Amino acid sequence: MLQQVMCSALETIVNKAVSLNIHPNDQLNALDQKTLAVKLTELGFPLCFSINDGNILVTKLIARADCTITSSINTLQALKKEQQLTELIKQDRLDVEGDIKVAQHFTSLAETLDIDWQTELAKHIGDVATHKIVQLSKTVKNKLVFVSKQIQADSGEYLVHEKRLVVTSRQLDHFNQGVLAVNLQTKQVENRLHQLVERFHINSKG
Amino acid sequence: MSSQENNHQDDSSDNTTDTTTHFGYQTVAKDDKVSMVAGVFDSVAAQYDVMNDLMSFGIHRLWKRFTIDASGVRPGNIVLDLAGGTGDLTAKFSQLVGREGQVILADINSSMLNVGRDKLRDRGLVQNIEYVQANAQYLPFEDNTFDIVTIAFGLRNVTDKDMALRSIYRVLKPGGRLLVLEFSKPEYELINKAYDFYSFNILPKIGKIVAKDGDSYQYLAESIRMHPDQETLKTMMDNAGFEQTSYKNLTAGVVALHKGYKF
Repeated sequence: MLQQVMCSALETIVNKAVSLNIHPNDQLNALDQKTLAVKLTELGFPLCFSINDGNILVTKLIARADCTITSSINTLQALKKEQQLTELIKQDRLDVEGDIKVAQHFTSLAETLDIDWQTELAKHIGDVATHKIVQLSKTVKNKLVFVSKQIQADSGEYLVHEKRLVVTSRQLDHFNQGVLAVNLQTKQVENRLHQLVERFHINSKG
Repeated sequence: MSSQENNHQDDSSDNTTDTTTHFGYQTVAKDDKVSMVAGVFDSVAAQYDVMNDLMSFGIHRLWKRFTIDASGVRPGNIVLDLAGGTGDLTAKFSQLVGREGQVILADINSSMLNVGRDKLRDRGLVQNIEYVQANAQYLPFEDNTFDIVTIAFGLRNVTDKDMALRSIYRVLKPGGRLLVLEFSKPEYELINKAYDFYSFNILPKIGKIVAKDGDSYQYLAESIRMHPDQETLKTMMDNAGFEQTSYKNLTAGVVALHKGYKF
């Protein structure tokens, strides 16, 4: 049932995204009555995208697929441009069975998706509020980027310079043990020397 | 839950005779059952979709989606959505069979059929759908007509289930398959008790508030309890001639999807 939940959610998201696309969805017409199946190595079931009169259905009905893509999520993320399709196939990161034009049309559709989020938001909360929110989000984003860069720089400084100057407790223990060992050896040598000196004096008197 | 939810429970395991059958927990004359069930669905038709969502917390959509995935439907197929009610399965099948295919939405109850037809037309689904008012026991179609027959939440309302299964078998093409989505017996006793409490104490109250008809939902709860369990229904399908019959429990057996082929 989890698979059905995923298909259902995906279907809603994909159709919403397509309906909000600011460019004409010409690719949908070319894909009418076609089905693309995507087998992801991370998922245990196929995702099949069927187009009917501009509506996209997401099912597990792989038997009706015109084209089947076998790949991983990482590879799909790399598949942003149509020309990368052939490149990924050559690299054996993508396996395509069936009509490759169906896969190309789907890739083009994904590439042309462009949603004007500000306009969509303004429909619900108004232009002024949308403008304020966008400005605020830009400010927050800039600050976050600055803080992130600052943290990265400080961490680098610490790791490159400061961390090497600090002696760890283990290193200190090791050093202390070494000093004690040298001290012990020195005392042993001193005792040995005393013994030799005494023996030398006894022999010279005799 | 569809209008042939309107039909009723079978006579395989109880105190019914050749002339009587169940209507919920009541035993009634077979001839009376169709009209009694029709009364229930005439009453709830307008609020049917809302009630389904409320009663199942929306999970009925996932059960139906599971049925679609299990159907193996292909472009060009001819599908009979029996007891199709307000057309949830028909809407999906219509898009999946494409222009070459066809979907027949059949229901014994005209109120349900009208609600379904209006809903599908409002969604622009007109191209490959036909509407037929039909009793599952006497399907008005030629032999070997359909690639797929589905009956979702309808079989338990059929007066004579064995007869309906034989009728469905007749209209299926060789290689065709029947999918029966229906309430069943929960796998765990704890769930069974919670389910009983919900069905008999909460469900009729929701029905009374939303559909202004608590009695109809009391009947629905009773009809679910009187419906054959998973194994019994599987045997009934075998007896009707279906092969490779199997079932899959959904939501811990609250609902089961039975599948059988005609070869």
